Amino acid sequence: MAEVLNVGIDLGTSRSAISASNGERFVVDSFVGWPVDMVARKVLKRDVLIGHEAVANRTMLDLHRPLERGLLKEGSEKDVEAVRELLKHLLRLVGVNGKDDAANVRAVVGVPAASLRTNKQYLRNAMKGIVDSLLIVTEPFAVAYGLDALLHTMIIDIGAGTTDFCVMKGRYPTDEDQRTLTVAGDSIDTQLLKLIEERYPQYNVTVFMVRDWKEKHSFVGESTNTVVVSAPVKGVPTDLDITNELKAACETILPPIVETMLDLLARVEPEFQERVRNNIILSGGGGLIRGLAEALETALKGVGGGKVKYMEDPVFIGSDGGLALATDAPEGDWEKLSA
Amino acid sequence: MRAGNIDRVKRRALQEAVAENLDVMRGMPPRALRPATRRMRIWLRRAPLILVPLTLLGSTYMIANGNGAGQAIAPVRAAAVASGRPGFPIFHREAASTTMNAERVTASAFPLTVRRVVLDAGHGGSDPGAIAPELLEKEITLDIGRRLRALLEKNGFDVVVTRDSDRTIALRDRAQLANTSKSDIFVSIHVNALERHTESRGIETYYLGAATDPSLTELAARENRVSGYSVSDMRRLLEGVYADARRDESHELASTVQKKLYDALRREDAGLENWGVKRAPFLVLVATDMPAVLAEVGCISNEKESAMLRRPEYRQKIALALFDGIRAYAGMPATEKKGNEQNG
Repeated sequence: MAEVLNVGIDLGTSRSAISASNGERFVVDSFVGWPVDMVARKVLKRDVLIGHEAVANRTMLDLHRPLERGLLKEGSEKDVEAVRELLKHLLRLVGVNGKDDAANVRAVVGVPAASLRTNKQYLRNAMKGIVDSLLIVTEPFAVAYGLDALLHTMIIDIGAGTTDFCVMKGRYPTDEDQRTLTVAGDSIDTQLLKLIEERYPQYNVTVFMVRDWKEKHSFVGESTNTVVVSAPVKGVPTDLDITNELKAACETILPPIVETMLDLLARVEPEFQERVRNNIILSGGGGLIRGLAEALETALKGVGGGKVKYMEDPVFIGSDGGLALATDAPEGDWEKLSA
Repeated sequence: MRAGNIDRVKRRALQEAVAENLDVMRGMPPRALRPATRRMRIWLRRAPLILVPLTLLGSTYMIANGNGAGQAIAPVRAAAVASGRPGFPIFHREAASTTMNAERVTASAFPLTVRRVVLDAGHGGSDPGAIAPELLEKEITLDIGRRLRALLEKNGFDVVVTRDSDRTIALRDRAQLANTSKSDIFVSIHVNALERHTESRGIETYYLGAATDPSLTELAARENRVSGYSVSDMRRLLEGVYADARRDESHELASTVQKKLYDALRREDAGLENWGVKRAPFLVLVATDMPAVLAEVGCISNEKESAMLRRPEYRQKIALALFDGIRAYAGMPATEKKGNEQNG
């Protein structure tokens, strides 16, 4: 691979996505695991497992989820190593093999809106040697850039670790334009697990099962179907109805999201508020929660109404935006941004 | 938006993103918070006050050297006053002196002005502040604030108050009001409480900075309760605040206020201790744009002082001492001082 490869990476707490200029796109679970002993290594026949494979074989692995609330966990060398493995894996998926290829890679990585400068520097250090040049941007900005929605738009990016809000005002967003909540997919998982354990104490349920159920069936508002899933009771797979628990868990994120959305709207110059209200975009995995866009529109009625758009491809929307940025960045800028 | 406009906006946003990355790589603070930027803004705001005296001094120099004989020489003070708004006398931090020698022109020749003062009566509404039997900090601070306002207004200052009644106001809103009012200084009035040392009584004045004493962090946490700031707001504010140039001005204001408070109140209570000028991260000090101080004008947990704080006359003394402090910082001529002491 001698030609320059531009990539956009959405480094997520739960899932990480990559979009490359060669047309390849992949998403992987943000899990990295190392076999716990020689036996496990012999069984798995690998030194490190990443993504879904790591989750599936977690009992034999020292499993790491290197990102917490969208940020690289600090102070843990193992987590830094894990994020490097994750990034190398993502790059391998799009055809980057070895150091020679890495020397031609220009990456744009999206991070939560509230990332500190130290977090960004930490990520930059972790990516040394993995890519040639690196541009770190906030995730909502990458989304907005990819959608050409840089003016009078609000992006609500609901990930696993964080929900990021950003009002686009035709410039690179400043701290005043952005908010980050830690109420997101993970907090729904925690709540759902708690509610299920309360109602069905005899069932053996894990957070991984709960996450799967949420991703398939999550909704807010009125349910049209009953959500029935299967979990073992004393080793026997048994059905359980989690409709009410799922609704309650998903709806816990609504009040803080509504409040933050309205608070940010109130800070927009009065003459532009209506335009922003009518250009609210949901992205990230949380955008897949059924009924969420409608629930936010209902909340907007109290301030004059508005429209919340749900993107069809929320998983890649951030990495596609990153790729667009990588492609548009001038050659001279990339030279200054060496990783 | 038209395609051309989109491209332009995208290009600009991308440039800004690259610039931010380069700043992070170089370990530089956010652009908006860099002291140079802030200093530039302060200089631009005060440019007329600097240019007018400079022009006059230049004229003076020319006359002294025989160039421009016959031109009128306007006193510096008169020129500076003329630049103020009608109805608002300007009090100079440094009395400017006219000079025939251009080489002696220094920064001290450019008077900074204190025209508008923000008074912040601590706590209020659902937040009572420190409590003593039948005495609430929020009531004391409001009363002293009202008295101080009257004194300042009588003496030509423009006063903005963060609250004039018993209501809850988030610290963020207080700071926002101060910042949007384009005021020159911010004075927050509070009353201390030392539950573990009820025998102690004293006064202290704070300006912004990292607390060196853990107990001050506790005090700041108590006073910061009703903040209204999100985590990201707080981070933004704190990122650049300790490098803030206005800290020196705040220290000067705090020193002047503390001195006047102690000198005046010690006459009422010989046992009153001078706890001095201190640094602590109070939110109202963090978030305000102008020189800002927080005065703990008494100690409600001490029985004797609590009794004194109940007396309107003592509160008036406190208000007067605060007024003297502000006036001294503003460099108000001593001739006006005599009359002011009759107020209240």
